Amino acid sequence: MSARPNANRQPQRGATRQSNQPIKTQKVKRQPFDLAKYLRQHQAVLTESFVRLLNYPMASFMTLMVIAIALSLPGGLYVMLKNVQSVTDQWEQQSVISLYLFSELEDTQALSLSHQISARDDVRSVSYVSKEEGLRYFEQVSGYEQILSSLPENPLPIVLQVIPMEAVQLDTLDILESLRLELEEQEQVEYAELDAQWLQRLASFLSFGERFVYALSSLLVIAVLLIVGNTIRMAVESRRDEVLVMKLVGATDAYIRRPFLYMGFWFGVLGGLCACICIVIVSLWVSGPAMQLIELYHSDFQLSSFSAGEVVICLTISAIIGTLGAWIAVNKHITDIELQ
Amino acid sequence: MEIEFQRVGKKYDSGQEALSQVSFHLQQGEMAFLTGHSGAGKSTLLKLMMMIERQSSGNILVDGTDLRTLPKKAVPEHRRRVGVVFQNHQLLFDRSVFHNVALPLQVSGADHAQIGKRVRAALDKVGLLGKEKYNPMALSGGEQQRIGIARAVVNKPQLLLADEPTGNLDPKLSAEIMNLFQEFNHVGVTVLVASHDLALVARMRHRVLTLNQGRMVNDGGFS
Repeated sequence: MSARPNANRQPQRGATRQSNQPIKTQKVKRQPFDLAKYLRQHQAVLTESFVRLLNYPMASFMTLMVIAIALSLPGGLYVMLKNVQSVTDQWEQQSVISLYLFSELEDTQALSLSHQISARDDVRSVSYVSKEEGLRYFEQVSGYEQILSSLPENPLPIVLQVIPMEAVQLDTLDILESLRLELEEQEQVEYAELDAQWLQRLASFLSFGERFVYALSSLLVIAVLLIVGNTIRMAVESRRDEVLVMKLVGATDAYIRRPFLYMGFWFGVLGGLCACICIVIVSLWVSGPAMQLIELYHSDFQLSSFSAGEVVICLTISAIIGTLGAWIAVNKHITDIELQ
Repeated sequence: MEIEFQRVGKKYDSGQEALSQVSFHLQQGEMAFLTGHSGAGKSTLLKLMMMIERQSSGNILVDGTDLRTLPKKAVPEHRRRVGVVFQNHQLLFDRSVFHNVALPLQVSGADHAQIGKRVRAALDKVGLLGKEKYNPMALSGGEQQRIGIARAVVNKPQLLLADEPTGNLDPKLSAEIMNLFQEFNHVGVTVLVASHDLALVARMRHRVLTLNQGRMVNDGGFS
């Protein structure tokens, strides 16, 4: 045996100052968690992975566009649904139950019925529309003034417009319907009409639309997960050598994973941003014809696109999807790459 | 770093027995060569030390700690204490010399200023200080090997392993590389160099471990 421990030998010529310092051989102690260092590392990787996207502009752009299109479909449907819903909301407040009284009824009897109904707890107010007022209003809106004036007597009944306590919404429709039936049972009332039936139809159409958007969104979210996953898989594959060397010099799996996760994050955020831009552009494009349509209905309704809050939500969701897609792909492929 | 192999065996899944009953003790601060024909198990032995492979039998003690008891999570930490140089350099050609050498420091989370200082010190040691901005591709084989060595020592490892570090180099460059290893050894780093260049090994006058078909056939003499 010629074991020759020589730790205590003097450094020879040619060794630099740096190498003169004895190298510590004690065991590496677990360092306490250093938040500043942790953040600095993450910030560096965040920037680096963004620069890496810019290094492959064409490939990154195409991936981003696929993600953007996949995300803008549910986003656009959401905006459409939101607008229809807010049109509905406007009508909800105007909803009333109209009571058409028997035409032989005297004004005094009608007035006492009106007081009686307005005293109810579930009624906010009752407005009394006399035969004459009804006729005048009808003349105005219909334009049949001459025909109406040629009639021997006013054919219109007295109408009580009952405004219920409950606003018309999907869940109050049953209450309002039972109120309508109750009012119709009054002997003075010939016919009671709840001005909400069309709304009921629209509401069920909306809930159908909502489900449809959810189903479509789920499918497209899965599509984006797959797109990001596949892109990241290829990125991992193209950086195989780097992954191997990093493992060799003592990189933890978390460290190796990080740039790919941030890449997925960037794909998500930028794809989401492109989707938002698409949605805004498309809503501007359709807003002209849409406004004309709305004007035809004499409505002062304002078409709305994505609000700032919704943009933030959209970006958050897409960032999460992107990171998740990357995470799935990276976990699978990093472990596949092993030192030989 | 002190290394002790106790009757270590390594059998691959394919049934090939790469090492059997290998025992030796490498003192803290010692330098030794590992020789043998190709396929004798030199690389496998180094891989066991790097925890790239795990032994099938026997114990490997590093500073008294049995590597077998280290969980998978502790492997990166272990590798940071070991510098390794390969024949094929394992350099990355998508970045500069500086960033190749900086990799082990980045991986262990050193801060920016420290990375700059230590990378330049390591490059200075291997005589490549002026070439930090070059792409490794633009440098010669000998220079590339020096980058590999700078990367192996930048983290101030306690153990330096080299697998055929002079394989592709002419005798003069090979001797220079070996002298570099010797310099690191002189400052207390334990060094183990696998090489089949017996003439060069003999000239270095250090302990020689010889493997033949997975068995330690010689320990000590200059071949």
